[in-house]
Amino acid sequence: MDLTKDYFSNLGLPCRYQIDMAVLADTHRQLQQVHHPDRFAADTDAAQRRAVQTASYLNQAYAVLRSPLRRAIYLLELHGMEPLAPTNTSMPMDFLLQQMQLRERMEALPDIADVEAGLEQMAEELLAMHKQLQTEFAAAYDDGQLQSAEVAVRKLQFIDKLQQECNDLEGRLLD
Amino acid sequence: MALLQIAEPGQSAKPHQRKLAVGIDLGTTHSLVATVRSGRAETLPDSKGVHLLPSVVRYRLDELPQVGAKALHHLVDDAANTIMSAKRLMGRGLQDVARLGEHMPYMFEVCDSGMPMLRTAAGLKSPVQVSADILRVLSQRGEASLGAELVGAVITVPAYFDDAQRQATKDAATLAGIQVLRLLNEPTAAAVAYGLDNEQDGTIAVFDLGGGTFDISILRMQKGVFEVLSTGGDSALGGDDFDHAIANWICEQRDINELNLSQQRFLLRQSRSAKESLSQVETTVLSFAGWPGASCPLDMELTREQLNSLLDPVIAKTLRATKKALRDASLVVDDISQVVMVGGSTRALRVQERVAELFGKPPLTSIDPDRVVALGAARQADVLVGNQVGEEMLLLDVLPLSLGLETMGGLVEKVIDRNTPIPVARAQEFTTYQDGQVAMAIHVLQGERDLVPDCRSLARFELRGIPPMAAGAAKIRVTFQVDADGLLEVSARELTSGVATAVQVKPSYGLSEQQIADMIKASWSNVEEDRGARSLREQQVEADRLLEAITVAMQSDGERLLTEQEQQTIVVQMEALIVARNDTDHHAIARQIEVLAKATDAFAQRRMDDSIKRALAGKAVDNIQ
Repeated sequence: MDLTKDYFSNLGLPCRYQIDMAVLADTHRQLQQVHHPDRFAADTDAAQRRAVQTASYLNQAYAVLRSPLRRAIYLLELHGMEPLAPTNTSMPMDFLLQQMQLRERMEALPDIADVEAGLEQMAEELLAMHKQLQTEFAAAYDDGQLQSAEVAVRKLQFIDKLQQECNDLEGRLLD
Repeated sequence: MALLQIAEPGQSAKPHQRKLAVGIDLGTTHSLVATVRSGRAETLPDSKGVHLLPSVVRYRLDELPQVGAKALHHLVDDAANTIMSAKRLMGRGLQDVARLGEHMPYMFEVCDSGMPMLRTAAGLKSPVQVSADILRVLSQRGEASLGAELVGAVITVPAYFDDAQRQATKDAATLAGIQVLRLLNEPTAAAVAYGLDNEQDGTIAVFDLGGGTFDISILRMQKGVFEVLSTGGDSALGGDDFDHAIANWICEQRDINELNLSQQRFLLRQSRSAKESLSQVETTVLSFAGWPGASCPLDMELTREQLNSLLDPVIAKTLRATKKALRDASLVVDDISQVVMVGGSTRALRVQERVAELFGKPPLTSIDPDRVVALGAARQADVLVGNQVGEEMLLLDVLPLSLGLETMGGLVEKVIDRNTPIPVARAQEFTTYQDGQVAMAIHVLQGERDLVPDCRSLARFELRGIPPMAAGAAKIRVTFQVDADGLLEVSARELTSGVATAVQVKPSYGLSEQQIADMIKASWSNVEEDRGARSLREQQVEADRLLEAITVAMQSDGERLLTEQEQQTIVVQMEALIVARNDTDHHAIARQIEVLAKATDAFAQRRMDDSIKRALAGKAVDNIQ
């Protein structure tokens, strides 16, 4: 396996946003079956080292391709873009306003009467937005509109972060 | 004359001969060795037919150490030379050992590496050597049973063992002359033992409650691949807590306020046997016959119902950790197809009931919970030496505790999060903090908290020879490589100059179990506190950076570009920032940073104009881009 090649080609997938998750999981499993250090446990040090490198690469590739956000970022990086560079901060005003409202709602969640229902509602809305942005990204990327794709990625990152915080909050509140 | 058979290099002379490999469960109280014969995993007995080997070693002058039951007999009459629970000392420093305190009646000394050594009749012994003596007996037992030399062994470790504890375990095996095929997490081994017998795809929860530790692991099994999705637990929670809860209840009932050591032992022993018998009967009598004290309390009854109410608070903690592990794996209880029970404390009926309640299905208990780990390890060993051609079992495990680096202000920057599949390689870039900085100290830590003192220090090393550059211009890439055993190697390289350094993380001591437990629990409960502490450190770093920059600028250009009055104003604001910086209010620091930045705005502008003027001095206008 040529570890300098991109994740998509090494995992036998077309280099685009929408991929078949079942195929990804299956391919990853099959490749680990062949390349995992366990297959070289009684082999030479060099062979074991190679196996550790290949398996690390496969784990990294799998983690990136499996995540809707990281896969999108990775695709743009393959085009030499840096969607999350710290200098890259301008966002549409309406989106920022929406973010602030969502954040305020989340901060107020612990104090509302039916916390569980509130959390669930919030999680559902965030998931819907996440999916919508994935669709927007895929359309823009397939269309070669890399600038619009980049905006979608950055929005996606905001939502992703909110999802994580919502998840953490759920863990703390429902324990 | 018979013809000699000569095999090709790399091929065995008898291609169908099985290679002999064992699985070893190196436990705190007892150890086991198992192997696969005729397709079945089985534990191996000693010459007397006993399977469990007590993890006890007794050292004598000029004689070989006694291991197992023979040593156990001398626990009382030769306490200082009879070492038990060496597993608790593995990968620990003397400080950690001191915290284990009264349970350890041994004489400790520190060797150069900081590793605590036990003083015995046979000289100084490290916990690694003690474990090696146990492993040696098990490997000899394997060779005697199988009638040939072993190719290697899979040795199990608790899922929550950190890098130091794993490394110490591997060192012990090396010392015992055993080729370690793989270190395997105990819950994973248990899942393998059950999974391969059932040969069903699905998601498995392994509930492992021992005497003093609780581990929960969530695994997915699909087409022969075991994928660990998450691990969690509490390394200071176990069946011992059940016994303490019962003993405390007895004290309350009988108005006992003070206990000496032997009374305490008496109560705990009675509590344990009451707990065990209530798995069979509904009511039992707690007898005070043989009470080591003057006024003997009256015997009392304990019902199963009462017992349950005593155990429930402890069990509730295990269930909370279980839910957390499910959340970490992004799963809900209904996703779990099988629940596997490991560890002696899962024999308690109440534990089985509550676990069944949580998952809505009875847990699997068909394999002896004391042996299931060794049996799984034997399976994995068999696969690793290549005996199971065609069968495609593969284990994909995860990192149990996050790995990170110390950054300015005593903060930990996580480089690899816990529950990341291993092996894994990850690189992170850092930069210099001061102008002309030529060296950088790299401090590797393991744990979930934000501040350095709350995490476990794994290693420190220095990257030297960085070419002098402006602060922030050097690019130092630090690479972490974790192998399939969960062991870490770190290397660092300055990218513009190529200066490199590497270290195999081999620490001399480790965390106490309490520390690990606290670290994990605290990371869940102290999010708020950590956030405050992090903000404070960040503001302090920012303040230092600003003060440093202004000091340098004032020294070089202050007198030239500022009036005395202006210099005075800046100095006053700098002093105010130093005061704020040494206090604990991060808002106050942030405010003063702003004030000082404003106060130096004009100065900064003049310096810029000045440097442009100098850069342009003597150049023709058309050379200016």
